[in-house]
Amino acid sequence: MSLVSVVKRAVEYVAERFPVEKLNYHAMVEKKEVPVHRLSWGYYLGGAALFFLCVQIVTGLMLLFYYQPTVSDAHASVEFISEHVHGGALIRNMHAWGSSMMIACVIAHLLTAFAMKAFEKPREITWVTGVGLLFLTFGFGFTGYLLPWHQIAVNATKIGLQSIEQVGQYLPGQMAQWPRAIRETIQGEATVGQATLSRFYAIHVIVLPFALAGLLGIHLLAVQLHGMSRGVDEPARRREKFFPIFIIKDFSVWGVAFFVLFVLALCLPFESFYSYPLFEAYDPNGSTPDGIKPEWYFYFVYYPLELLPFGVILVASGLAAVLLLLAPWIFRGTSRKTLRILAFAGAAYFLGMTLFGERIYHFFKGGAP
Amino acid sequence: MIDSFLLVGLPYLAITVCVVGTFWRWKTQAFTWSSLSSQFLEARQLRWGSMPWHLGILLVLLGHLVALALPRVWGSLMTYPTLLVITETVGLGAGAMALVGIVVLAFRRLTSGRVQAVTTTMDLVVLALLFFQSLLGVLTALLHRWGAAWSTATVVPYFWSILLLRPDPSLVADLPPIVKAHLVGAWLVLLAVPFSRLVHVLALPLSYLWRAPQIVIWSGSRRARMQAKDLAVAESRREFLKGAAGVAVAGTLLSAGVLDKLVRFFQGPKISGEMETVLLAKRLRHLQMTAEEQALQLERQKNDRILIGRLSELSATKGKYFIDFHMAPALAFLGANGLPLLISAKCTHLGCTVGGDVDAQGQILCPCHISYFKITTGEPNPGAPAKTPLPHLEWAVVDAAGKTLAQRTAGGAIEGSLAGVPPEACQVYVCRPSPEGAS
Repeated sequence: MSLVSVVKRAVEYVAERFPVEKLNYHAMVEKKEVPVHRLSWGYYLGGAALFFLCVQIVTGLMLLFYYQPTVSDAHASVEFISEHVHGGALIRNMHAWGSSMMIACVIAHLLTAFAMKAFEKPREITWVTGVGLLFLTFGFGFTGYLLPWHQIAVNATKIGLQSIEQVGQYLPGQMAQWPRAIRETIQGEATVGQATLSRFYAIHVIVLPFALAGLLGIHLLAVQLHGMSRGVDEPARRREKFFPIFIIKDFSVWGVAFFVLFVLALCLPFESFYSYPLFEAYDPNGSTPDGIKPEWYFYFVYYPLELLPFGVILVASGLAAVLLLLAPWIFRGTSRKTLRILAFAGAAYFLGMTLFGERIYHFFKGGAP
Repeated sequence: MIDSFLLVGLPYLAITVCVVGTFWRWKTQAFTWSSLSSQFLEARQLRWGSMPWHLGILLVLLGHLVALALPRVWGSLMTYPTLLVITETVGLGAGAMALVGIVVLAFRRLTSGRVQAVTTTMDLVVLALLFFQSLLGVLTALLHRWGAAWSTATVVPYFWSILLLRPDPSLVADLPPIVKAHLVGAWLVLLAVPFSRLVHVLALPLSYLWRAPQIVIWSGSRRARMQAKDLAVAESRREFLKGAAGVAVAGTLLSAGVLDKLVRFFQGPKISGEMETVLLAKRLRHLQMTAEEQALQLERQKNDRILIGRLSELSATKGKYFIDFHMAPALAFLGANGLPLLISAKCTHLGCTVGGDVDAQGQILCPCHISYFKITTGEPNPGAPAKTPLPHLEWAVVDAAGKTLAQRTAGGAIEGSLAGVPPEACQVYVCRPSPEGAS
């Protein structure tokens, strides 16, 4: 195959995925339609995730005005926001609750898109960027968790980073030292300290948002160019216009989402699910308090990690990542029915581990739940 | 006596009759399963009665149901004062709305001739029951406030005691008469379900929520049909205007609220002088902690030995924390030979700090994932998440004159002895790990 034909085929491939001839008012606004069927509710989830992202950006920006990213001041500045700044507790609480809701929406969006086979040609790029966005969202969660610099934050981050180093035992020879080097590069020093805080802060506030903006731009452009995927096998009985019908419905979903988030943030401090000592300022010389665990959205990998040998988890999560990224090609021929069952199994696993992970852990390992 | 009938006998009677009766009616008279709409007989008053009644009672019933079904969740939520106030306010508002609705409905049923024509005695009984029940509910909310909280220790366990067949009327026996009457009323309403239009509560027409609205009209003449069409057009225009007005008002309120919060957020807090002192002191403390941390680091850069304390301060059962040359926590114990025993306290599993209390088996515990380490060897217990032992650290014991009496070298060998020097006069140092020991 000559170079010319390779380039030609590549251009054709991209052109099919990004049909820029549709980049006009008529195709993107007047003609865009949404099929109506029993899985139509899935079409709202991406929008809801986008909405929570907007909430995160706005509340995050507001927190930036008072937050100080140094080990001596971080915890005090967060406390200052919560206790003294007008509406500070609300804004901070909205940021915490919003992150959880955004992740919930993103995961549900992924599962429904999978069940609806929304990654079918020519939407592969949309799917892959979507998976990228999922990883970025988890990255936001992980880096943001450290910033308040309280006991649970620092200790959970330590544990999370340590698991990178655990990969070393499976690598041969000199390579066994690489994960440790990687961890120390991420940390910036031998243990989680000021360098780590500065790095996580920069990643959380600058790096990830820019990466997210880029990927999200591609994701949304592709969605706009291709329109909604059909979602079910049988032809849609009815289709409704994206503008203005669907978008109004979308906005009403956002309204409800905001209401729920606002009321939750107003009434229930996010911390109320943990015991207080976990939220004292981190003390590098004290012992680690009980009950250190990651945020709920990492339970699906955390509890298996506690139960099974690390190697099994490593292989399984590697496989899962590959499966997710290559889904458009791996599941090209799979029927929607099978995909629905797979998505359902995935959802059941995630929910089971998130809700009952601790009980499952104690069931196998003993000890009081 | 009367109490035990009303609070135990009546409930079981009501539940049995309700279950059996409803089932019997569903089997034998399924077509009477209806709310018996009279909308086409009289619509104007109905709207002002039925809407508030149903909205109000649905909210109130939902609150009751959640409290009864999830008592622990509800009880813990109600410990937040803000949430309690909100719940009580919403509940009272919904209850009042339902009461207004039922009054309007009662008035309509008693005054409209057309509706009178289809009214049965049972309808009037139900109406009266629901009216008194709503009234009692609102009175309870007004006169015996915070029912959302106190009911979790009285009514909810009483309800479960009935359901679980070990009735305990003493839980509610001492409640005020209004509340007891409300309870009795609830059982009476339940009793009436199979014999009245109340069965429609058990039908859940969820699809009504998103189906297109239907207008009930007299069928027949062409004129009526045209009228209905015009009505539908006018109605949809009105709905749009109403919606737009609603969005505008809500938008204005929302932006006013958000603006207020935003402006005050960026204005920054007004802090009293006293508070300012507290905050400054806290800040200073944190800065001092950081400074100490960095001083420790510098100390370890410059020196080959770091002082931990006197040998007499060490104990065999309670470790003394110090920071080792890797800037990680470590513990100092008194060994069985009267010499120090220094062991890293950074768990070899995921790096948590290991606790300093030695248990009866001579082990210390990492609280994160429950690994026990024997302090004499550093080995974790079999099956622990940690696989490798905690390393022992090198130490030196120095007398008052600065002479090294004993030390532990990189290989683990102990050289020298205290030679009779009292432990009060001995200083324990941790030594910089030698390069070969580190590898």
